[in-house]
Amino acid sequence: MEALQYLADGFTIALQWHNLVYAFVGVLIGTSVGVLPGIGPMSGVALLLPVTASLTNGLSPEQAAASALILLAGVYYGAMYGGSTTSILLNTPGESSSVVTTLDGYQMARQGRAGAALSIAAIGSFVAGIVALVALVFLAQPLSEVALTFGPAEYFSLMILGLCAVSGLGGKSMTKALIMTVFGLLLATIGIDNVSGVARFTYDIPDLYQGLEFLTIAVGLFALGEVFKTILEADGTEAQLIKVDRILPTKADLKRSAAPIARGSLLGFFIGLLPGAGATLASFFSYIVEKKVSRQPERFGKGAIEGVAAPESANNAASGGAMIPLLTLGIPGSGTTAILMGALLMYNVQPGPLLFSDHPQVAWGLIASMFIGNVMLLILNLPLVKVFAKIIETPPQYLIPLIIAISVFGVYAVQISTFDLMLLIACGVAGYLLAKNDFPLAPLVLGLVLGPMIENNMRRALTTSNGDFLIFLQKPLSAIFLACALLWLVVPMILKLRGRQVVVNEEA
Amino acid sequence: MNKTFDRTSSILFALIGALFVAESRNISTSAYGSEVGPNLFPMGLGIILILLSLRLFWETFRYRESVTSAVVFRHKRFLLMLLATVLYAWFLEDIGYVISTFFFLLAGFRLMGSASWWKSAAVALAFSGGVYAVYVHILKGTLPGFPTWLGL
Repeated sequence: MEALQYLADGFTIALQWHNLVYAFVGVLIGTSVGVLPGIGPMSGVALLLPVTASLTNGLSPEQAAASALILLAGVYYGAMYGGSTTSILLNTPGESSSVVTTLDGYQMARQGRAGAALSIAAIGSFVAGIVALVALVFLAQPLSEVALTFGPAEYFSLMILGLCAVSGLGGKSMTKALIMTVFGLLLATIGIDNVSGVARFTYDIPDLYQGLEFLTIAVGLFALGEVFKTILEADGTEAQLIKVDRILPTKADLKRSAAPIARGSLLGFFIGLLPGAGATLASFFSYIVEKKVSRQPERFGKGAIEGVAAPESANNAASGGAMIPLLTLGIPGSGTTAILMGALLMYNVQPGPLLFSDHPQVAWGLIASMFIGNVMLLILNLPLVKVFAKIIETPPQYLIPLIIAISVFGVYAVQISTFDLMLLIACGVAGYLLAKNDFPLAPLVLGLVLGPMIENNMRRALTTSNGDFLIFLQKPLSAIFLACALLWLVVPMILKLRGRQVVVNEEA
Repeated sequence: MNKTFDRTSSILFALIGALFVAESRNISTSAYGSEVGPNLFPMGLGIILILLSLRLFWETFRYRESVTSAVVFRHKRFLLMLLATVLYAWFLEDIGYVISTFFFLLAGFRLMGSASWWKSAAVALAFSGGVYAVYVHILKGTLPGFPTWLGL
């Protein structure tokens, strides 16, 4: 029961008063971000990344990393709770993983059961969050011990697998997803080369020597991109909010949703583990599963509480599951986890197998804080659901310029350079245009984060083999990873050729 | 899907790939103690990017353009907001954080349709002043202060 001992240590960190405040602020902002249509978990985390960096200025690097991660992760899973609110009350999903919730949630609200739908979503999310965390606690150590045996060749292939998985499921067109991945990897090569110290693609511009800053690009692509989209396309029609009266679900509701919550949690967790498949896919699958197992499938789409409980549990479990490859292997499986990884790297904390031995404070503090955060969210969401519903009514004419101002403040506070602000605005425009034309942004960010590590591991592997590329196929584990990567790209292609509908993951 | 955008972007990405390939030829081809130089990775990626762009270009001939939805684009509002943001970023260091943020927010609120000057000015002042006070005075961070010619 070594894991429990570590977890207890983690709790002593997570229960420090400033970390409790960070967790609380994180889940509070996360819920708001989830509720507000237009800002998803990814743009929320990106927007807060520089802000937390400046907030944690005074702490020691290790403590700062733990606190920042606690806040950012809080935003991530808080958004999963909040996303259901608009789906149910407005029929507009607050983020893509709550799209399925609209099907039955909105119908329930129209029948006057909005409160029951909202609270079952919160309860489901809570149960799923705890299930995913317990699994994380017991899987983290063994998985990272396995990963410690990997050499550079295995790491290179594993990261290629991660990139291929995200690109294979990354959007409507795999070609476009792959282009974005490669483009991200290329952008990562700008700057001084870590291994040889040679300046690459810098053209003697001092701002480029450090490379393009990950934070600037992430905030620009996600936060500003979303804002620009709202400025250009908002139609200005006011949606009608449905009033919430009774909050607590009835006994019959609880009984009916117990099994869907359990199934949704497990399914969501395992889908979250896979790189590339994220919360959206998890909620989608769990809805389909519930419809299949139900004795009265005709009730779905007409206000069945199972249709709210299962997908909402699944998307939260998936966001917990997605933390496992990030923390143990150092491989983010989605856009949001890529940004979390960028945050860790900013603090000079390398996620991966060594995280648990080198920075136990950060790893276990984060895990413990997620338990606390989930409890906070449950307590916040049940009585305060009406208050959160009010956030939807925030006037956009104030919100939009404020988001731009926060992005500018965040980037400037960390980078202190006008060059980065201009890059930020350029990335915002590019992010809007690319996303609008089905170029997924998550693979680009993933490529940008993983680029330096992929290159380093590739060169280290090639150095040991004297430049022989076959080393990646001669090591059995590495060959298996590469084969899986290939399958991940080829199988969807074959399915598409045979005319099947392939479920793709929207960004989350 | 938009064919014009896809074609233009595929050409653009191919050019970017070509640029990286061409430029990586100027980087040293070996590092001390290793046969693999810093040029290999970007060059390989550049080639892959060119191939992918060609495939995207080829794909644009194969799908039918979907009908565009009836979204009304508000180009004027967007361009003005963009201009305001660029000016804000450009003059941030010259006129200081509080003043530039105040004017940017005021302009932004009005552009986005806030009806009252007073309310806009109050929110803008509260945000710019509040952020500056908290960040610079309490957290001891760095933000451009007031311009010296103000004599503050």
